[in-house]
Order: sequence, then structure tokens, then C-alpha cells
Amino acid sequence: MTPANPIAPAAEATPPKPRRWVGPWALLGPSGLWLLLLLVLPVLVIFELSLVPGIRPGDLVNPSGIDNYLLVFQPVYLQVIGRTLSYAIGTTIICLLLGFPVAYWLALMSPKRWQNLLLVAFTLPLWTSSLLRSYAWITILRPTGVLNSLLGAIGLPGLDILNQTPAVLLGMAYSFLPYMVLILYSSLEKLDRRLLEAAADLGATPIEAFWKVTVPQSLQGIAAGSLLVAITSLGDFVNPELLGGASSMTASRLIYNQFLGATQNWGFGSALSMLMILAVSLGIALLIRYGDGRPAA
Amino acid sequence: MAAAAFSRRDFLRRTSIAAAGLAMTGCGWRLAQVRPSPGSVGDRTKLYIYTWAGYTDEELISRFQQATGLSVVVDIFDSNEVMLAKLQAGGGSQYSIIYPSDYMVRQMRERGLLRELDRDRLLGLKDLLEPYQNPSYDPNNVHSVPASWGTTGLIYNRRRVPEPPKDWGFLWDNRDRLKRQVTLFNDQRETMGLALRRLGYSYNSQDPEQIRQAYEALKELRPAIAQFTTDGWKDRMVAGDLSIAMGYSADAIEAIEENDQLGYTIPASGSSLWTDTMAVPISAPNLEAAYAWINFTLQPEVAAGMTARLKFATANQRAIDLLPPDLAQNPSLFPSQAILDRCEGIAPVGAATPLYDRYWTQLTSG
Repeated sequence: MTPANPIAPAAEATPPKPRRWVGPWALLGPSGLWLLLLLVLPVLVIFELSLVPGIRPGDLVNPSGIDNYLLVFQPVYLQVIGRTLSYAIGTTIICLLLGFPVAYWLALMSPKRWQNLLLVAFTLPLWTSSLLRSYAWITILRPTGVLNSLLGAIGLPGLDILNQTPAVLLGMAYSFLPYMVLILYSSLEKLDRRLLEAAADLGATPIEAFWKVTVPQSLQGIAAGSLLVAITSLGDFVNPELLGGASSMTASRLIYNQFLGATQNWGFGSALSMLMILAVSLGIALLIRYGDGRPAA
Repeated sequence: MAAAAFSRRDFLRRTSIAAAGLAMTGCGWRLAQVRPSPGSVGDRTKLYIYTWAGYTDEELISRFQQATGLSVVVDIFDSNEVMLAKLQAGGGSQYSIIYPSDYMVRQMRERGLLRELDRDRLLGLKDLLEPYQNPSYDPNNVHSVPASWGTTGLIYNRRRVPEPPKDWGFLWDNRDRLKRQVTLFNDQRETMGLALRRLGYSYNSQDPEQIRQAYEALKELRPAIAQFTTDGWKDRMVAGDLSIAMGYSADAIEAIEENDQLGYTIPASGSSLWTDTMAVPISAPNLEAAYAWINFTLQPEVAAGMTARLKFATANQRAIDLLPPDLAQNPSLFPSQAILDRCEGIAPVGAATPLYDRYWTQLTSG
């Protein structure tokens, strides 16, 4: 453009450009580089490995097909994925059922001056390692553990749920409940109470008001909280591993076995990882689109 | 307008194309390849060791420091595969000494990951027990020095089982009354191996039909299995919550010390015999310190002290001679030759590896 039009003053067209460029680059550069090096590149490498059938460490990386992905569709692996999904869905439902009343009470009924303290108290369990929390559940749930001593002391029969699905769901729900409560709290806090009063004036029972006013207004919070809990549950490794029984293999454990187990099939492990990343990305995309309170544009 | 569009979509597009290019131009690269070190010396005053939990203690390290002036940094791994993965991810240039087990020595040796040891610099190899002079996983100990050995067997609680188990078959015979009271290893080769052995086959069978039968046998046993765990059974066994746990002899001896109702059996039809060794990664720094450590632990007094304190069997005959009789004659620690003859070391199974993994996934997800 410039050589073709020598009359146009070059000094006028160029100066603003650098300034417009420098700002975004200086602000986004460091974190962009960080993301590129530690997220984008590794994911691309995993993707490349997932296209090499049965690659083990020391082998030549030579992408040649989607065999690893086809392997995933064998019944035995579908069963593992099914269990992982059912754990995630179960955990989400339990967290929602337990978390909603708590968040409701915190947001609308608890004394205002205690609210912040109560919120902090509710997130306290997150300050310890998830491993420790799972070990604590073993101590509580084992046949001669805390729970059964208590039940025995008041004359009730013992509960034997350790190493079974209920124990896994209990551990996972306990781990992820604070996330659900925090998100529901921030959603319920914004609830327009005048609508509740109006509903009462117009003759709605408290139950009707709850279903027709409170729930619709907090739907976004419910969706965001549920998605966040479900996404986190999908990748949980510790709870199924420590609290589960003989048949508790989940996708995380299956991936772990491919990389650090005896088979060392990094290709299949990478394919499983890619599918996991895809599933989680899909969840996050849904969260961004529907979870922030604005209707889809 | 144009600038705004660039800021997101275009930036993402351009960077991802660039990144994809970077990753793909690497065609022909080798996954997790380890190259010999260019003779890096590292910190001459420090020795970095990568080992199993329970193989070192304060006393051992401070005595080594007094003897050599070298300070020791110990990192812990919980499986051979984790150790291998860390070395392949570049950790090999950090550690001077690692403790791979028998089958892993073979695997690492075959992949050129271990440094050949200079026998002239090793003192005390001649004191090793006869079977450890020329082990099958590493003929003539060219790449490794045996550090400890033991068996895998059954730990049982006398109060909870009608009679002490004598063989693997006990689990199947009593599976109805042992409902969720048994733990087996979270290790496909050990657990599939015990089922193979119970059926009269080898721990290292590569026959698809035999492996399938072992899987079917374990599937039958599943109602009795509380969990697959290699070392998560200890607390619960000591507390009396489990009836039987599969365990390493060294862990069994520790658990029995805490609860005298517990006992340990090496199953009569034989079990797996394991050896943990000391080896030097091909990319290791500070070889001087590595040799100093191996020679230090080969001294009979040091080896005997380790066995007495840490409860794992030494392969050093002169060290065994120094042990108090209650340890030297402890059949859990040093089983009779008749029992050892029926045991087998776990070796790589080559092309049958994916088959083991498949059945294992089926077993643990069914």
C-alpha cells in the first residue's frame, strides 16, 4: 500500500499501531506463553501419542491411525466409562440435594453477621488434602470404626458399606459439596425477596412459592454447581481408589494403569485422556454458555 | 473492529497452528527416551537415592554420612513403573542410586537404562547367597546388586479364620464365609499370578487359555475381595477388620509385631519370590557416591543392622550370620529352601502383557 501511494504520509498511518499492539501483548503474553507451554503443547503431544497404536516409552512416535480410539468402544472399557459417569451423576445429585438447603439457609435465613464466617467454616474441609479426607472416611466407615462404635453404643446394628459404591459416593459427595454450596449461595443471595412476598400476597403456599419463584431464579446456579461437581467428579481418583471395592475401576484409574501400570500402553492411555479432556471441555463450554446468568445469545 | 477480532479468535487460531506445527514436525522422535549422561558430576557432597518406603532410616543415613562425608537425599516411589516413568521423564539425571525389583532390572537393562557396574569397584559381592551370585533377571549382577528379597504370601487373623490358611486354595474353599474380608494386590501380575499358581500354572504363563482360566478363578473369588490394594491393608488388618490380606513378607512381619493375632503363610504350592536391587541409572550423576553407597550397604554389619531394624531379608550370607537367632531363624523372613524351591520370580511376559491388562480391567470393573 505505501509504496504504491508515495503521497500518503507514512508517519501518520504507523504510529498508533505499535501502541495498540503493545498493550494486549504485554498483558496477555506471560499467561499466554504459560498456557501455550503447559497446556496447549502437552495436549497436542497427547493427541499425537493417541494416534500411535500401543506406543510404549522408548518407541518411535509415528502417528498412523485411530486404533486406540476404537479400542475404547470395547464392552469392558465402556463399562469403566459407564461407572465413571454414574459416580459423577450420583455425586452431583447428592451434592445438590444436600447443598441446596444449606445454601438456602446460609443465603436467606442465617444471621447476617455470621454469614461470612459460616461460609468460611463450610469450606474448611477444602483446606486439608483430599487424600487425608478419604483416609478419614476409612477410619469412620470400617467395620470396627467410629461410625459402627457409635451405632453400637446406642443399640443400632452396624453398617458395612466400606469398599462398596455407597462409600465411594459418600466420599465424593463430601469432597465436592463445598463447591456446590458456594455456587448455590452466590446464586440464592441475589434472589429477589420481593417476589416471594408478592407470591405470598397472591395466595401461594410457601411450597408453591419455592417451586415457582425460588427454584426458577436459582436455575443458573443449580446448573453451574451441578456441572462443576460433575466435571470434578469425572476426574476423581482418590475416592474410588480408597473407598471402592473389588469392582471400582474408573476412567482415571484406567488411564493411570496405561501410563504407570505394567502394560505401559501410552497410546491407549492418551486416547482415553483425549476423550476425557473432550468430555470436560464440553462441560465447561456448557457452563460458560448457560451458567453465567445470561440467556444464550 | 479488526483489532478486536484479532485479539481472540485470530490469536487462538494462529497459536494453535504454530503449536500443532511444532508438535508434528517432531515426527520421528522417540517417546521418553533416556540418553547416557555426558559425564555430569552433580553435587559431589550429596547422594540422591530413589527407593521404596522403609528401605532407609535415620541411623543408616547418619552412619553413611559419618563414614563417607556424603549427605543423602532419599525420595520414595511406590511402584517400579512409577520409578521408571520418572526416570524416563528426565529424573534419571538426578538419582545416583535406584532400587528396581528383579523384573524391572531386566526391563531397564534391555532398554539400556542401567549403567554397567564396575565389579572391581564393588567390595563384598562374594558374600552374597548362592542364588544371588547369578540371578536370572541380571546374569552375574552386571547391572545390579541384590539389596533385599522376600516372598508374597497370606497374612491372616487367627480370630477370624477357622484355621491358618496353608495354600492359595483356602481362599476359594472359604469364599462364602470370607465375604469382603480379603484384600489382594492391586498388581495384575501378582494377583493373576496367584490364581495361575493355584491352577498349577506358572506365574509367568503366556498361554492365553491359562490366563483366561486364572481370570475366571479370580472372578469366582470376587465376592470375598474387599479391595485390591498392595499396602492399604495394614491398618485394617492390625485393627482386626480383615480376615486375610495378601502381603509382602516384610510388611507381614511388621504387621505381626503390632498385632500378635496375625500370622503369615507362604502358600504351599508356592508364591512369588521378589528381589529388590540397587542399580545406577545410565544418566546418573556422582558415580563415586553411588559406589560408596553400594559398598557401604554390602558390609555385613551394616546389612545385618538394616535387616534387624527394617525387617527385610538381606542376601548377604555374612550379614545373616551376624543376626540374632530369632531373626535368622524366622521362617517368614528366611523361609526354608524347600519352600523357596516352589516359588518363582515374576518375569516379563512379552506379547501376553496386553492380555493380562485386559483381564485385569475386566476383573476390577465387572
